[in-house]
Amino acid sequence: MKRCIVLGKANVGKSLFVLSFAEYLGVQKVSVTIEEPGRHGQSRTVSVRDAMAQWVSDTPHQTRALHAVQLELPVGKGVKRFELVDTSGLSEGIPRETAIRRAMAQTLAAVREADLVLHIVDASAAAQEGAVEAIGEVDFQVAHFAQMKGGYLILANKMDLPTAKEGLERIRQEFAGHPVIPVSARTKDGFREVKRYVWRWI
Amino acid sequence: MHAMAMSPGPPHTAEEVLDLFEQGKLSPAEAFSLFRRLHQTGKVPAVHVPAAAAPRAKAREEDDEAERRRRLQEAEAELMSLIGLDPVKRLVKEIQAYIAIQQRRSAERLVSEPLVLHMIFKGNPGTGKTTVARILGRMFKEMGVLPKGHLVECERADLVGEYIGHTAQRTREHIKKALGGILFIDEAYSLARGGEKDFGKEAIDTLVKAMEDHKDQLIAILAGYQREMEHFLSTNPGLRSRFPIHIDFPDYSADELLQIAHLMLRKREYRLSAAARAKLAALLRTEAGKADPNFGNARLVRNIIERAIRRQAVRLVRKARISRDELMLIEEVDLGEVSAG
Repeated sequence: MKRCIVLGKANVGKSLFVLSFAEYLGVQKVSVTIEEPGRHGQSRTVSVRDAMAQWVSDTPHQTRALHAVQLELPVGKGVKRFELVDTSGLSEGIPRETAIRRAMAQTLAAVREADLVLHIVDASAAAQEGAVEAIGEVDFQVAHFAQMKGGYLILANKMDLPTAKEGLERIRQEFAGHPVIPVSARTKDGFREVKRYVWRWI
Repeated sequence: MHAMAMSPGPPHTAEEVLDLFEQGKLSPAEAFSLFRRLHQTGKVPAVHVPAAAAPRAKAREEDDEAERRRRLQEAEAELMSLIGLDPVKRLVKEIQAYIAIQQRRSAERLVSEPLVLHMIFKGNPGTGKTTVARILGRMFKEMGVLPKGHLVECERADLVGEYIGHTAQRTREHIKKALGGILFIDEAYSLARGGEKDFGKEAIDTLVKAMEDHKDQLIAILAGYQREMEHFLSTNPGLRSRFPIHIDFPDYSADELLQIAHLMLRKREYRLSAAARAKLAALLRTEAGKADPNFGNARLVRNIIERAIRRQAVRLVRKARISRDELMLIEEVDLGEVSAG
């Protein structure tokens, strides 16, 4: 099963994207394997709605484990199964809290093994200097590394917000040469393109 | 699929990067940067890991690193022990600092100048050009600039062939031998003599192309007399820009030549009597004073010394009993008829 990892800085909308994308693919209930650092994955099935209430939050670093959602995409006459993995957000500096560092280390390890990397960037904050969600060094390093591995896509998220247009411009400029798709995890805008791209890679 | 999985025991594995990260010694951006380097080279550059992390690295890696640094210091010490050559030493220090900083900059993904280290050595024969080139090769190897750091010496006769196409082939052969190290072309200006139809031009063209093709694997050094090299460069304007580093090797002063003589004798376990010392000093002063570019500099000193050693041998061989001291002593008579010849 191919593994498709969703990563980005804290609070750019990774968890919402994963669940929203699952919903878009027509899933009511998702089977999620939660892989906490240092422990074996535990699987459970929850409804997308419940999962959203539980995991999507305005507080940064809400996700402290890898949440692997099993999904299916129709390919030819059958279906192809793949995993969409929600990760703990990346920070610009070295996080103080050990638990967050461990969760982030897990994200780093997961990126190395991923078949496809979906890098989420907050378009609404991209044009703002100094915002926590604004693009920074860690985003560039992710781009440089992931690009070498092959499957790599930048999702400019939060396109439903007013400042996002300007941010998208900036993202396109800063990440020239990388594929960028504008999306909104909330309104599911742009998901068609994402699906097409993912379909190609799995 | 991952480079790090293939190479057995690379200095730093991805797991170690993760360990360092968990300990709070790396930021996520630094960790990704290291991953990328791992992916590209199978190795994490040593400059990158903070010193506090060293205890965690495996002992063998530390040894390798220490060994590498020791060899670098050794080469440096050897360069510094060369007599005179102060401008050369200064420039080598500069180049060394420049390389280190460019490597750091590229590790931080700042814009870094590509390391173009092709050089022109200008100076009379015997001023230490080949010696310095050989030491540079070793230093560049330990600094990670060149994979092998060996020196391939050649001159016009090695490169220029007899018929059309032959030159390119011969030049390429030498370049191939030099890959990973330094190609040292002595009396390079002779490649430009003979005008347009001369095959020397073909050798230059082949060399320039190879310098582009093997940017990371080859450093070319063109050496020769000061004046001839200047002329050579002015007739080939494209060359000057391709060789950004110019090093002038000044002639040795009489004092420096004397120091060289003493060093050579010490290495061979000989010593001069007081009278011989005075005579050698006088001899070298007149030679250095002549300002003849062909007088040979350090090579002249070596010839004088070696001839004196042979004369001493002739003087001693007929004696019935020779003391240990006599075996070491060079007398004035041994220098007697020595001339610059």
